[in-house]
Amino acid sequence: MTTSDAFRLLVPVADSVTVRNTVAYAVDVATEAAADRPVELHVVDVASTRAVDPDAPAELAAASDLLDRVEAWVDEDTGGERPSNLSLVTEVLGADQYLFSPGDYADVLLSYADEQAIDRIVLDPEYSPGGAGPMLRPLTIELARGDVAIEEAPVERRTERTVLTRAASLPKYLAVFGASYLFYMLLSAWKPIDVFTGFLTATLVAVLLAPVAFSDQPSFTRVAKQTVRMAIYTPYLFKEIAVANLQIAYVVLHPDLPIDPEVVELKAAVWGDTAVTTLANSITLTPGTLTVSVTDRAFAIHSLTAGSRADLFDGGLERAVRFVFYGREAAAIATPRERGDDGGHSDG
Amino acid sequence: MTPVEWAIVALALLGAFFGAVAAIGIIRMPDIYTRAHAASKSDTLGAVLTIAAVALALESSLSTVKAVFLVIFMFLTNPTAAHAIARAAEDQGIEPWTTEDEQ
Repeated sequence: MTTSDAFRLLVPVADSVTVRNTVAYAVDVATEAAADRPVELHVVDVASTRAVDPDAPAELAAASDLLDRVEAWVDEDTGGERPSNLSLVTEVLGADQYLFSPGDYADVLLSYADEQAIDRIVLDPEYSPGGAGPMLRPLTIELARGDVAIEEAPVERRTERTVLTRAASLPKYLAVFGASYLFYMLLSAWKPIDVFTGFLTATLVAVLLAPVAFSDQPSFTRVAKQTVRMAIYTPYLFKEIAVANLQIAYVVLHPDLPIDPEVVELKAAVWGDTAVTTLANSITLTPGTLTVSVTDRAFAIHSLTAGSRADLFDGGLERAVRFVFYGREAAAIATPRERGDDGGHSDG
Repeated sequence: MTPVEWAIVALALLGAFFGAVAAIGIIRMPDIYTRAHAASKSDTLGAVLTIAAVALALESSLSTVKAVFLVIFMFLTNPTAAHAIARAAEDQGIEPWTTEDEQ
């Protein structure tokens, strides 16, 4: 039973990198407060799908699993001896309604806070229920509607995103300026006024976009080499695309629709964002293969026919992309089938 | 007709053919992934061939350059769009159709 003078703390949790430390911090606050009055620590998981949904059982199971872990963490943080006036309440909220916006989540949390006479809400800085984007700022603003104190747990936040802007250097400015000037002139009519407006536009673009344009320092020799090799790669890619289309046309127009689709895994031996993107796009453009998802080097590829899988694991495209980005030596790496990076599809 | 005109007609017809293949493929294929195959490949080539015909037909060098840019952007964006659709389908947990699903 709740006593009126108890200190009540509400911690909404969801799986995140900082949830463990947030719970630890909340336990610290609670233990400190428990020295002179009863404390209730409410840990809640807000479910985003309704209990009647087909995928709700999985989500609700994950939620109660997380809350079980939270209980174990609380025991761990209190050294196995929870102070007698510190009580832990865990609950899954919101399983009876659809929640979309931070406002919806705030409504659920505030109405719970109201019911339970919560004194303070401790927020996990990486809290993002339902796997949506970052939620902390909008949620904090929405929660301010209520009359509960809100606090962000002071935990180490791991930076997960790479920074978008990097220090711009002269080569970067020149490269962006040159590329945009060239593009402008190619699209314009080469009148004197275009030379002038092109210069202005290219300057503006370079100043604004040079900091985000390259992931590393552009080097003239490397870019020149890659351009030449790209020029060699393009006809090869065109040939592959032509073959791909004839095969697709054959399959599509064949009365029996002879397809045997399967999703296969390929651990590609290419590195770096540009190379991986190029390979992913090339795979999508060529015979019967479609890149579904890419995690680091692991490609999930939907293939239309057995023949297209065999071609994929022969690694012609992969080799060509390596050639474009790293030169001839790298092109000689073994094929995915020889490396055993074909997810056990060696029979083709 | 001059050879260039023949080339224009041939490219436009081929482009129309692959466009038609893409449309037929989208209707005949059994699920979203296989349809994305038809849409991403045949459609790209169909559009590219048609634009190539346009590039030849427009004799002014400027418009030809613009048409070539269109082709390049088509090659960059079409597979990306197909990938985005397939990935969205995968995120939604849609299972790919296999020959075993065929009754």
